[in-house]
Amino acid sequence: MLPLSLLKTAQGHPMVRTFTFPRMPLHMLVELKNGETYNGHLVNCDTWMNIHLREVICTSKDGDRFWRMPECYIRGNTIKYLRVPDEVIDKVQEETKSRADRKPPGVGRGRGRAREDGPGGRQPKGAGRGLDDSARTTSGGRGRGGSGGKNTGGRGSGRGRG
Amino acid sequence: MSGRKETVLDLAKFVDKGVQVKLTGGRQVTGTLKGYDQLLNLVLDEAVEFLRDQDDPLKTTDQTRRLGLIVCRGTAVMLVSPTDGTDEIANPFIQPDGA
Repeated sequence: MLPLSLLKTAQGHPMVRTFTFPRMPLHMLVELKNGETYNGHLVNCDTWMNIHLREVICTSKDGDRFWRMPECYIRGNTIKYLRVPDEVIDKVQEETKSRADRKPPGVGRGRGRAREDGPGGRQPKGAGRGLDDSARTTSGGRGRGGSGGKNTGGRGSGRGRG
Repeated sequence: MSGRKETVLDLAKFVDKGVQVKLTGGRQVTGTLKGYDQLLNLVLDEAVEFLRDQDDPLKTTDQTRRLGLIVCRGTAVMLVSPTDGTDEIANPFIQPDGA
């Protein structure tokens, strides 16, 4: 179980708000690195653990001052820890199960096969190069000679025409 | 799941309204939100900083300092909340006797 998937589940947790006083089934506690704690309903969170809380009660570090705020946004990297209701854990297990049911994508191995052929194709080349070292003059000579001959041949014909 | 939407909180609803911002290091500022971006950089107008106790920098005092128009850097923003409806209250947690 991943910490953030727990949070994601907690976020999607059914939260019944009825009449004047909303029930508070999902009351999370967030403690920041500076020691302040925030109690509230988790509205939203993201992959950075940035958190949006509703109906928040903020407690100072020493625990003797309290503030009420309708909502707040907390940056993920300032969080020390979170306390999550126990019932979320059952939900998250259900969710991971349903995720496991999904098929992972399969194919896409064509390249790997091509690579396997690659080294086989290269090896002769390497051997060929090795031979080239000993028989450079013949192969190199051929190449140069061929191209040179073509060029001169072209020029020659050109001259001939002119 | 998160998809394209990157912000947890849509700050659009706070624009031109009073917000309270806590910054890393302990500074606390309120002001009128004039602008923001996805990095949570904020533009606050008529910003007021709450000065802190010299002996205990974690405690804010009633003393304030007017800052005017400021830009809060997103990386330093720890917490954003609307000032509307934010009040200091008595201990709301029922303390069990003898605890």
